[in-house]
Amino acid sequence: MKVYMKPVKMLSYTQENGIQIPLRFQLKTRDDELITVKIDRITEKNQEKLAGNKMYIYKCQSVINGVERIYELKLEASTMKWYLYKM
Amino acid sequence: MKDRVIFHVDVNSAFLSWSAVHALQHGASVDFREIPSVVGGNQATRHGIVLAKSIPSKEYGIKTGEPIIQAKQKCPGLVVVPPDYYCYERCSRAMNEILREYTDKVQIFSIDESFLDMTDTLHLFGNDPVEVATKIKDRIKNELGFTVSIGISDRNKLLAKMASELKKPDAVSTIYHNEIQSKMWPLPIRDLYMVGRATEKKLISMGITTIGDLANMDIEFVKYKLKPAWGTMLWNFSNGIEESPVKPEGSIPYIKGIGNSTTIKFDITEKKDAYKVLLSLTEMVAMRLRSVKYCCSVVSIWIRTNELSGYSHQKKLYVPTDETMKIYKSACRLFDEAWQGEPIRALGIRVSDLCSNDFVQLSLFENYSEKKRKLDRLVDGLRIEYGSHSIYRSCFLHSGFPPVTGGISEENNFVMTSIL
Repeated sequence: MKVYMKPVKMLSYTQENGIQIPLRFQLKTRDDELITVKIDRITEKNQEKLAGNKMYIYKCQSVINGVERIYELKLEASTMKWYLYKM
Repeated sequence: MKDRVIFHVDVNSAFLSWSAVHALQHGASVDFREIPSVVGGNQATRHGIVLAKSIPSKEYGIKTGEPIIQAKQKCPGLVVVPPDYYCYERCSRAMNEILREYTDKVQIFSIDESFLDMTDTLHLFGNDPVEVATKIKDRIKNELGFTVSIGISDRNKLLAKMASELKKPDAVSTIYHNEIQSKMWPLPIRDLYMVGRATEKKLISMGITTIGDLANMDIEFVKYKLKPAWGTMLWNFSNGIEESPVKPEGSIPYIKGIGNSTTIKFDITEKKDAYKVLLSLTEMVAMRLRSVKYCCSVVSIWIRTNELSGYSHQKKLYVPTDETMKIYKSACRLFDEAWQGEPIRALGIRVSDLCSNDFVQLSLFENYSEKKRKLDRLVDGLRIEYGSHSIYRSCFLHSGFPPVTGGISEENNFVMTSIL
């Protein structure tokens, strides 16, 4: 997987316990084309606190352009920004 | 003497490794710690000096404090990372949060150093101090991503601090009282805590080149050659004698003075501009003074000219104070007396001769206003809560000068001190 760390537009919902669950996100391709990716499965959810900065890491699976892809999303707790971390 | 267990935790190349971890977390492809890189101020605002350097950049002879231009001449491919004080404070806070899980006696010595008194809590985590320190070191590395060196002593903070300097990075070292001769005495005298360039020169001229030389010298001779108090302290340090307790946060720190200085974006030639810089610095100095619950009796200012020569001037106040405007007025008077009209590159203010602010000595010759004291405290509260720009004096409006200058950032709550 390659590290992208690209900010993405995210549609997510919040569970009763405060946990954020990502549903679908939108990102710009190299040709400035907007594509929407529906998150099919979240396989793992972890937390990191590197440099004291809390981030939640979601390992996800989706079918993108007919191919099953595994990738990682990150949610930065201090800014509430979503990133496509690795794909 | 009952054995104590004191840890000194020191972050390796603090600013640089914190910047590196932050960048890696945000997708950087290189680790600044593994390439020649430095953390440096902005050259455009004339703050372009090396604040921290990576280990590979040491091979090029780059030194902390030298101008970035000079460092780039030594290493043309040098990567210069801008400082991010907000990130540094967050890293420091996160580290101290972990440390507080091991003992309630954590003394934050500076943004990247803390002392831990593990005497009463060590048994909860293991029997061997080295093993527990290694656990703490590894936990910080795994959770926060940066490395620390931990020094351990069975006597005092001084030995723990000296021990943490022995091996870097990512290491645990000890100087127990029975290891002073073998581990501390062979070190060059410059490595002794509180020995700077000037003292080193003096000691070398006395034939003292190692810490052991000083320790084995007659204390009376050392007191005679240096000043008595200074000589006694250094001689004690060389013999590993130091008694201060680990002072947790909240206790009033023992400090001799508080000061802030700044290099100005352009050379100041007019008095009114210098006054603004002085007021801006006083705002920070007075706020820090009040935060540690002290009043000051001496105000001094320091001027550096565009030719990089400097001079200072100081004044004793009739009555101790912690009021911003009183300190500012004294600073202005000092400035008028001292300034010789040359362009000014940097200015500094320092207050000293501190006493507790528990009670106020009234004076026949000065007005006392409880309202002004309350106002100062209110402004401090607002600035701590909402940042230094949340409220400021109208003279700073469109002036180009920041309303508060100094400290390391808006949320700075670290008391810098050289006293253990």
